[in-house]
Amino acid sequence: MTDSPSLGDDLRRLEEIVRRLEDDSLELETALALFEEGVARLKAAELRLTDAETRVRQVIDESARGDGALRVEPLDA
Amino acid sequence: MTGLDEAWSVARLARAIKASVEADSAPVWVRGELVGVKRSPRGHWYFGLRDATAKVDCTIWQNVAAELRTPLEEGAEVFAFGRAGVWEERTALRFNVSRVLPAAAIGAQALAFERTKQALLADGLLDPGRKRPLPAFASRIAVVTSVSGAVVHDIITVAKRRWPSVELLVVNSAVQGEGAAAELVRALRIVGRLERIDCCIIGRGGGGKEDLAAFNDESVCRAIAASPVPVVSAVGHEVDVTLADLVADVRAATPSQAAEFALPDRREVAVRVGALRNGLERALRNLVVMRRARLERTRDRIGSALLAQTRAWDRRLFAARARLGPALAHAAARRRAALERLGAQLHALSPTAILARGYALARNAEGRVLRRRADFVAGQPFTLTVADGSVNARVEGS
Repeated sequence: MTDSPSLGDDLRRLEEIVRRLEDDSLELETALALFEEGVARLKAAELRLTDAETRVRQVIDESARGDGALRVEPLDA
Repeated sequence: MTGLDEAWSVARLARAIKASVEADSAPVWVRGELVGVKRSPRGHWYFGLRDATAKVDCTIWQNVAAELRTPLEEGAEVFAFGRAGVWEERTALRFNVSRVLPAAAIGAQALAFERTKQALLADGLLDPGRKRPLPAFASRIAVVTSVSGAVVHDIITVAKRRWPSVELLVVNSAVQGEGAAAELVRALRIVGRLERIDCCIIGRGGGGKEDLAAFNDESVCRAIAASPVPVVSAVGHEVDVTLADLVADVRAATPSQAAEFALPDRREVAVRVGALRNGLERALRNLVVMRRARLERTRDRIGSALLAQTRAWDRRLFAARARLGPALAHAAARRRAALERLGAQLHALSPTAILARGYALARNAEGRVLRRRADFVAGQPFTLTVADGSVNARVEGS
């Protein structure tokens, strides 16, 4: 399951990584670590852009007030 | 009893009366008949409100009058909303009206709408400062609507185009007719219990105005305001704004538009991700250069530890570069092709290319381009540049 804030976080962090990598005075060891993290986050972001089936499910609660047990079922729409 | 030397000025008395009247006047709805309707040249309205036993002078100031929807007709029965005040210059009591509704056309529903709206306003629920922004990258969206309507289908259509990875959690509810308001409140309560929801779309397909009652219901509006996640209203009625629309964090005209507001567009995100990939590729080239420079600096005193370190760097760089993928080569080829195209365009624009087509360029001794007849002074020397070089020339006549 995808987690909502992670794409936004990935993109913000990636932007920071790219910005920091443009700094020539960066230690090679640090630069390499940043680059590795950047590649991993880029892969994650690109994965989110690939085709995926939109999942549609219905939430059902048998109680009258809407405070009973919740059931989730696929919904054909 | 005060002495004559303590006598008030008229202005002081007027101010005291005004302050005492206005301190106690709360805004109210008043029902009455319009009499003596007059409009001032500056756009203010003056009229009286009368019933069987009393009459009150009223004013609608010009800035409010511009928003007046109901024409003020002599003798018409109206509801007027306003607040008592004192016109200082004459110390005259005035009812300052801000809204007028014709009593004849107004049904119980419209009155209820106004009452509910005032109640929501009083509690600050219509305050623009309450509106919450929608998350930039929604991955789980709750939808409150009737599963028998077209809303879910419309949202899926937009999701497939914009952001297919989204997950929709639908909570069924009647959206019109008897009991719809209670069902909507119940559905919103269920949404509040769901985990990791980014926002909620509440809506219905099209329909008649008489069907909007549930979306003007006070309990529904309060349930929307109480939602733990931002709510997009999609009542599907362009003309009539419902109170649910006013309370919701975002108002959409249709369910499709609601989905567009709630979901990012993957093409836009792809552009952003593409720019980041380019940035990383640039960084990769820098890293290779850095590693080489480091290697050269240490070559002379290279020990086994340094050699091992260099190899470790190489391995990591190679592995990361491999993960970045073959797109690197494609991207380079793409950029080269783009550069070549750009070069061709630049060439077409360059003066040399134009000269090759037979045009010539005239410049005076200072190198300034001579564009029109007046630039040429009789006897003055100038140079003429053609495709393969320049010739010296002189102006004979003018």
